[in-house]
Amino acid sequence: MRVAASGEADSATALDAAYAQLELPSPPRLVLVLAAPRYDLALIGAELERRLPGCAVLGCSSSGEIAGGEALRQSLVLWLLGGSGIRVSTGWGQRDAQGSLRLAATAAANCLNQLERRRHTVLLLLSDGLSGDQMEVVRGAYDVAHVDVPLVGGCAGDDLVMHHTQQLHGHQVLSDAVVAAAISSDRPLGVGVSHGWTPVSEPMLVTSSQGTELLSLDDRSALDAYLDFFQPEAGIEHDAQGFASFAATHPIGIRRRDKIEMRHITGCDPDRRSLITVAEVPTGALAFLSQGDLQSVLGAAEASCRMALGGLGRCQPAGILLFDCVARRAVFGEEQIHQETERIAASCGAVPMAGFYTYGEIARTKGAGGFHNQTLVTLAIA
Amino acid sequence: METSWSLHLLSEILSAFSAEDPQNLLSVLNRVAEAVDAEAAVILHGDAVRWSVGLGDSELQLLRASHEADPAPLPIAAGSLFTYWAPMGEHGRLVVGRLEQGFDLEERSLLRAMARSIHLSLQLLDAIQAEQQSQLRAQHQANHDPLTGLPNRQGLLQALSARIDCPPAEAALHTAVLLVDLDRFKWINDAHGQAIGDELLVRIGQQLQGLARPGDLVGRLAGDEFLLIAPVASKQTARELAQACIDAIAAPVPLAGSELVPSASVGISFVLPGESASEVIENASMATYRAKGLGRGRFALFHPRLRDQARKRLSLEEGLRHAVQNGEIETWLQPIYRAADLSLAGFEALARWRHPGFGLQAPASFIHEAEDTGLIQEIDLEVLRQASTAISRWQEQFQLPVLKLSCNVSARTLVRSGITARVGPILAASGLAAEQVWLEITETSLMEDIQATVSTIDELRQLGLQLAIDDFGTGYSSLVYLKRFPVAVLKIDRSFVSGLGSGNPGRSEDEAIARAIISLARALGLAVVAEGVETAGQQRCLQALGCDYLQGYLYAKPRSLADMEAELAGAGGGAALSGPPRPTRRRSHSQRV
Repeated sequence: MRVAASGEADSATALDAAYAQLELPSPPRLVLVLAAPRYDLALIGAELERRLPGCAVLGCSSSGEIAGGEALRQSLVLWLLGGSGIRVSTGWGQRDAQGSLRLAATAAANCLNQLERRRHTVLLLLSDGLSGDQMEVVRGAYDVAHVDVPLVGGCAGDDLVMHHTQQLHGHQVLSDAVVAAAISSDRPLGVGVSHGWTPVSEPMLVTSSQGTELLSLDDRSALDAYLDFFQPEAGIEHDAQGFASFAATHPIGIRRRDKIEMRHITGCDPDRRSLITVAEVPTGALAFLSQGDLQSVLGAAEASCRMALGGLGRCQPAGILLFDCVARRAVFGEEQIHQETERIAASCGAVPMAGFYTYGEIARTKGAGGFHNQTLVTLAIA
Repeated sequence: METSWSLHLLSEILSAFSAEDPQNLLSVLNRVAEAVDAEAAVILHGDAVRWSVGLGDSELQLLRASHEADPAPLPIAAGSLFTYWAPMGEHGRLVVGRLEQGFDLEERSLLRAMARSIHLSLQLLDAIQAEQQSQLRAQHQANHDPLTGLPNRQGLLQALSARIDCPPAEAALHTAVLLVDLDRFKWINDAHGQAIGDELLVRIGQQLQGLARPGDLVGRLAGDEFLLIAPVASKQTARELAQACIDAIAAPVPLAGSELVPSASVGISFVLPGESASEVIENASMATYRAKGLGRGRFALFHPRLRDQARKRLSLEEGLRHAVQNGEIETWLQPIYRAADLSLAGFEALARWRHPGFGLQAPASFIHEAEDTGLIQEIDLEVLRQASTAISRWQEQFQLPVLKLSCNVSARTLVRSGITARVGPILAASGLAAEQVWLEITETSLMEDIQATVSTIDELRQLGLQLAIDDFGTGYSSLVYLKRFPVAVLKIDRSFVSGLGSGNPGRSEDEAIARAIISLARALGLAVVAEGVETAGQQRCLQALGCDYLQGYLYAKPRSLADMEAELAGAGGGAALSGPPRPTRRRSHSQRV
């Protein structure tokens, strides 16, 4: 596994700079491109295909990147996976205006059917977090992966502009899409997941919701209930970016069987007085307004890494891939964000590490569900 | 106090059902599995898997082979799968599977409640779907013709209205409406039965559908009327489409053990601003009538003046329905003379309609409608009744010799069953012997309906009646039929007679034809009547050729029964109607005069 990064503004220059850092002992099977929205993904994808023939290229736009134990901004990160014991196949699916995100994910996940299976397999998914209910991405992929294959991944970002994200498959740049890489290895693959968010409100009943629009809590408009509780700056609901930044650290949690599952709030509709979430908050659910706490979020980072490493058994990690919620970065702030990456590095040891800040995280290892928010998902590869 | 987690998850499941999207059931199944952190959720109906989440084919096979009574976990590749089976009535069972951990009491209770919810929801979905399908069926039935499966009048009106409201996107296109009306379909129905008629209609519907281009709509307007709604770039395109319909329908169809050769007339109208769908179709209907007037297998475009004609025609048709009962049908007679001595041989009976509004109407103005509506049979029989009664009475009253009565009969009258049963009593009541009656049928219609008329003609022959072939020589007779049917008389058409005795070398063919017909009749033992004799030259020529009987304005024009009776009475019987030729003024004639 190899990781390289560059903060050069120009796409070609950044790619050259990152590529120059790579020392490849053998041709890689997969290169993952994690890039700030300013980069030309089509150019980078095409150039990587040219330079690395036979290597699958996958990637997405991000809201911050991670490489070499550091949280980056406006950077291009390459994560390369190879070795004789590794096999990779890729796929993609896109939904049109009337199409189903579930079917798009199923189409992408069908790459599992082309995979030369080794002992351990995982399906890596990158989706458009602004394209509807992301629970459907997990469900669609699970329709193919079934109980045998864990799912990991995250939703592409756009630096919290909340307007447009991109997914990369080869040199093809997509939106409203899911791209996938099925990775099979002779050696173990471990997946860790943890969030560390804390409910701060009394429980409330979700009395009305439609898809990813949360309309009312306890029969009161959801936006008003939210604003009344947190008391942010007045009129923030009319400032899309300001509201998104605030909501990043103030998610909503919903009660599950033995845990509280977080739902990232991406925006609001000031006219309908509703909240827009990245995944469904179903009617009938018990909801809590939640808040990030630096120490618990930090503790969750460590827990996620340990869980992933635990999945490797006695094998040593060759590297890790991180899908870190953009809201977690907001909790730390730019001055303290290094604490999270340092804690991760301390937990995993000096292994190649890469990742990006996401609009939603995917980790299905147990049960049928596997979409998360405010969460750090770690994929450890032995 | 915080409520149980399971209550809220059940509430979520109930909220997730959607009557609009039955496929949503798969998402419901996902939620069931997610609610209890289970890896698998399956709905089994008997041994069949209706829906499943989380398991591949091999695991599902293992699950189907297991049984809910056996609590042992299933050994699948991912580990030990603990299952819980919850009943769903007639919709089977909900099976939920979780790796490495069984389900506790609260989870089992939740899963049973979820299964019950799914069961009830499926029942509801089934009922909704059945209702929706029923509504769709009813809607389809209301808008479609059950025989051909094509849109019916209502469906066509709706479709045309929609096109009127939303014209073709391309400004250069106009919506044309082609009304395709089968010619003489009622005759086919009468002659071969409704089943054959239906079969023909289905076939024609298919032919028209085969001609329809993308964007065109074919439907069955009513009876034998089809409609083609077509966006066209020009009138010429509509004409070409109409001709294509006519050509397609004119292909011979093997039906009822013989080969039918249907034909159709097409009326074309165009959607104009401010006109409703009904008006556009009505315009096409008027154009169709115009096309039929041009002859079979033709098309015509709508023109506003057709409206006036249609109004008059409608009035005629309405009046015609009551004409027989109201005694408005009159019989006029034209004498027929022996060529040898110009003595009275009989009469040809001709129908007249004394319309209360329009006055006396010649057959040309109403025979077509009478045939279309089927009223022709009543008219033919009424004329036979009046003429046979009068002639029988005159024979006795004026001591006349035995006279012939030549009565026109429509081929449509002959193809309808039961005609013999009505002719017999009419003749019996009149006292006229059947042998005195010639039933005149045109050669063309006899040939067209030869199959259908065979049985009726055979029955009439048994009564003693004989056939006279009207307008002989204008069609394409097969001589075989002259032998096959009880034909007693050939009538030389007036178009051949008019060229005789004129000395005009250009008309020498007429003489050759008349000579041939007379020779043929001689050979077959048939009598020959020349109709339309108007000049002494024609008379001399026909006498020289050996023609048996003469009829025409040279001797007498048709007269009402009352006039004819008055003349007989005034002149002391048949002598008045015999005698030297008397020139009369020329006039043009229609087929029935």
